[in-house]
Amino acid sequence: MFRIDRRLIQNFDWITFATIICIALIGIMSIFSATRSPAESVQSPLFMKQVIWLFIGLAGLAVVMSFDYIWLSRISIPLFTMGVILLVIVLFAGKTGMGAQRWLSLGPVVFQPSEFFKLIFIIMVAHYLAYLRGPIDMSMMLRLFFVFVFFPFILLFKQPDLGTAVVIMVIFFSMLLSRGLHRRVIVLLVLLGIVSLPFVGNIMWTGLKDYQKNRLIAFLDPEADPSGIGYHINQSKVAIGSGEFLGKGFLKGTQGPFRFLPERHTEFIFSVFAEEWGFVGSAFLMSLYLLLIMRGLDTARKAKDEFGRMLALGITFMFCVYFFVNVGMTLGIMPVVGIPLPFMSYGGTALLSNFISAGVLINIRTRRFTLFY
Amino acid sequence: MSKKRVIILNTAILFGFFAILLRLSFLMIIDHRLLSDKARSQQVKAEEIQVRRGNIYDRKGREFAVNMELESLYCDAKEVRIDKDGIKKLSTALGMEPRAIQAKFQPEKRFTWVNRKLEPETARKVKDLIGTDRRISAPGIKGFGLVPEAKRFYPKGELASHIIGTVGLDNQPLEGIELRYDKYLRTSGGKIYYSRDASGKMLSSGVDMEAKGNDILLTIDEGLQYIMEKELDRAMAKWRAVAATAIMMDPSTGEILAMANKPSYNLNEIGKAHKSEVRNRAITDIYEPGSTFKIIVGTAAIEEKAFNLSSIFDCSRGTIEVGGKLIHDAHRHGLLTFREVIQKSSNVGSVMIGMKLGRDKIYSYAKRFGYGEPTGIDLPGEVSGWIRKPEKWSATSLGAVPIGQEVAVTPLQVLRAYSAIANGGYLVQPHVVSEIRTHDGQPLFSFRQENKKRVISENTAQVFKDILKTVVEEGGTATGASVDGNQVAGKTGTAQLIDQRTKRYSKDRFISSFVGFVPADSPKLAMIVVVYEPKGQIYGGVVAGPVFRSIADQSLSYLNIPRDDSSQKNLLLVSK
Repeated sequence: MFRIDRRLIQNFDWITFATIICIALIGIMSIFSATRSPAESVQSPLFMKQVIWLFIGLAGLAVVMSFDYIWLSRISIPLFTMGVILLVIVLFAGKTGMGAQRWLSLGPVVFQPSEFFKLIFIIMVAHYLAYLRGPIDMSMMLRLFFVFVFFPFILLFKQPDLGTAVVIMVIFFSMLLSRGLHRRVIVLLVLLGIVSLPFVGNIMWTGLKDYQKNRLIAFLDPEADPSGIGYHINQSKVAIGSGEFLGKGFLKGTQGPFRFLPERHTEFIFSVFAEEWGFVGSAFLMSLYLLLIMRGLDTARKAKDEFGRMLALGITFMFCVYFFVNVGMTLGIMPVVGIPLPFMSYGGTALLSNFISAGVLINIRTRRFTLFY
Repeated sequence: MSKKRVIILNTAILFGFFAILLRLSFLMIIDHRLLSDKARSQQVKAEEIQVRRGNIYDRKGREFAVNMELESLYCDAKEVRIDKDGIKKLSTALGMEPRAIQAKFQPEKRFTWVNRKLEPETARKVKDLIGTDRRISAPGIKGFGLVPEAKRFYPKGELASHIIGTVGLDNQPLEGIELRYDKYLRTSGGKIYYSRDASGKMLSSGVDMEAKGNDILLTIDEGLQYIMEKELDRAMAKWRAVAATAIMMDPSTGEILAMANKPSYNLNEIGKAHKSEVRNRAITDIYEPGSTFKIIVGTAAIEEKAFNLSSIFDCSRGTIEVGGKLIHDAHRHGLLTFREVIQKSSNVGSVMIGMKLGRDKIYSYAKRFGYGEPTGIDLPGEVSGWIRKPEKWSATSLGAVPIGQEVAVTPLQVLRAYSAIANGGYLVQPHVVSEIRTHDGQPLFSFRQENKKRVISENTAQVFKDILKTVVEEGGTATGASVDGNQVAGKTGTAQLIDQRTKRYSKDRFISSFVGFVPADSPKLAMIVVVYEPKGQIYGGVVAGPVFRSIADQSLSYLNIPRDDSSQKNLLLVSK
């Protein structure tokens, strides 16, 4: 299995690899800056932890690269079953932190099963979609929805991890759409969505926790209570805006270290980066993400089979949704949902899962020639 | 995947990136100023800090106002833990009611003063009770602390109180130099700016929490001030007067060397002072100057050549009628020369001069000498006094104004007018501050006499100086003011007070004054002494004149000014 083929190296997707390494390094740099303490001379060790996780991520990537991704299709059903079981375990035996029950301890390691579940979910859906022929009709779509989406969604919603719950839903429909839906189904979905919006919205609203409601209110009107619920958004905008065109310079940012910015090394890491590197740096970072996403779409187009195509699309959509929701949130154009910025935000499980996902992408591109296999 | 779908997908993603970039540029390029300001305003906090006021010194650097480090007791209501016994102990140590202490525990406030600027002995007792740290303190008492505060201290107590002025508990200026020069003594603002984090914790360190104000050097001489106050106290006792005021000035520079009012108060005990004691009568009180005002018509007559020195005035009747009102002389004089009219302070003669000059001339000379306007001295509360415009004069005014009635003046205005005669015809700017220095001794401001204005010719000044010399000689009104060994030039004044009930001149309430300068030929000191409502004697020459002499005598020897007759004395010694 670990046989190194000359062509494997020749066809390796260096561009995707370099892009994610680059983003991860920028992330570590920003975590370092964000967790500086101006009052004390002791540097928070968080950035060092992220460096270690980066190496673990690279190892994970190497492991994923070592076998043909077709294997993933074969083990998709047991993988998915295991993922759902883990989510159930989290719900009953998980560790609570920051108001949500998302973590699971395995000996000394604490990890977030929902982070890995996204990838497992994509593999599962890709595996199934690869078997289907022709456009998907209504009954097929509903079957897929209930089998793959419904239960994980409820489980995630209960944690609560609303961010991931919504993300798997979005990935699911995006994958279906790009796979090809009956036109009738699309029209029906849109109509259904419009008709049920107030109804579903109401159920969702009463089901939401107070902090989630506040985040939505704050998104709609950040100035309503600048020290309370709109605080996150306002402080993020202040941080980004005060970066101005060229930025304050590395380690010169103040919003993060002075603790005005909440979640400065996780969800709002982009604000910290933007304050120090300005519009120029932000535009550069945006182009890295654009490159990653466009490369992912290209990988999907060039994949040698339907599974690879759906898998690449699903992973790319995942990066895409995470990126837009997170950056949109820091810019005040999306509601505050606890979604990290891929490859940048602090968080070991997320970084590892992102590297594994990227590993799958690279795998698909590297083994894109049928001849190869 | 069909080509169409790929295009749609790519377009959607590119559109998303475009939206993000648009938003980024909106925040970072268009709105950046607003957002940067927001960042600054929440990260920078201005805090009022204690300011160590500058010291006030006399002209020779002797301290008049300094700071003392005293400790103040505060409590942090969130941390206060105190039992009944503790409150009892604390109240005895502080000399406060237990209830008054309990009233300070406001649960929502983290910092409340309990008692400020404690005496060192009290502070020591309190420290024993509360311990050195408000967290680790004696059992039963918690949440209290002591912080040092600068308390203004006036080492000279009552001396020069009306010039120095005083401050309140929070060092807010109340009177005198403290008030007038507050912004220099306090320096600018007394605020520091420091960066802070979201929890309000201060981040920048090493900032000097105490600003140091500028020091002020006065023109006052402590020695002269002491002589003046001692003599005024004696005069107050001797004449059982209501009040007394004196000002001493260098006639050529306008430097106030001493300025005193009695009764006065102790600057360290402002709370005990009565309102009438705090008033700086030398510049805030107006009175009718009486005869001292006769130099207006006198100098005008010589300047305008209306009379010469040997002109004869017939004052033998002892009265003169103006507008149906009789003006009397205090004594019957007979025929007087111009010189004698001033020397003997004849009302009749002065009115005659006034009538010849006319109201416009009198008014314009009074204005020229600075009457009816503040002198602009650098002390708060100065009033302008008043003199009616000629068109508003009544029929009897021409008989009143020349002898110093129907006008209101301050003692300082009179002194300045006489200084003009002493210095050869210039109106000077009286002032008490000579220099302002930063706390490390760098000069910030030095007084410069700029608006020295000639008001009469040198000749007129010289002529009048000679006439004023005769006032204190045999035959003048103020022989009591003559100083041993030095020739004095001056003028007496005795004015009736207006009875507030009858609105007429009171028969037993007077203001006696003497204004003059010494040595007459090269004046070093100009001085006015005003005694309000002396009992027994009323005349300026009798009441105020001797006070002038005592002060002048001691002041000249204090200043080591050689006596006019010293050379003659030496000659006598040699010839023996």
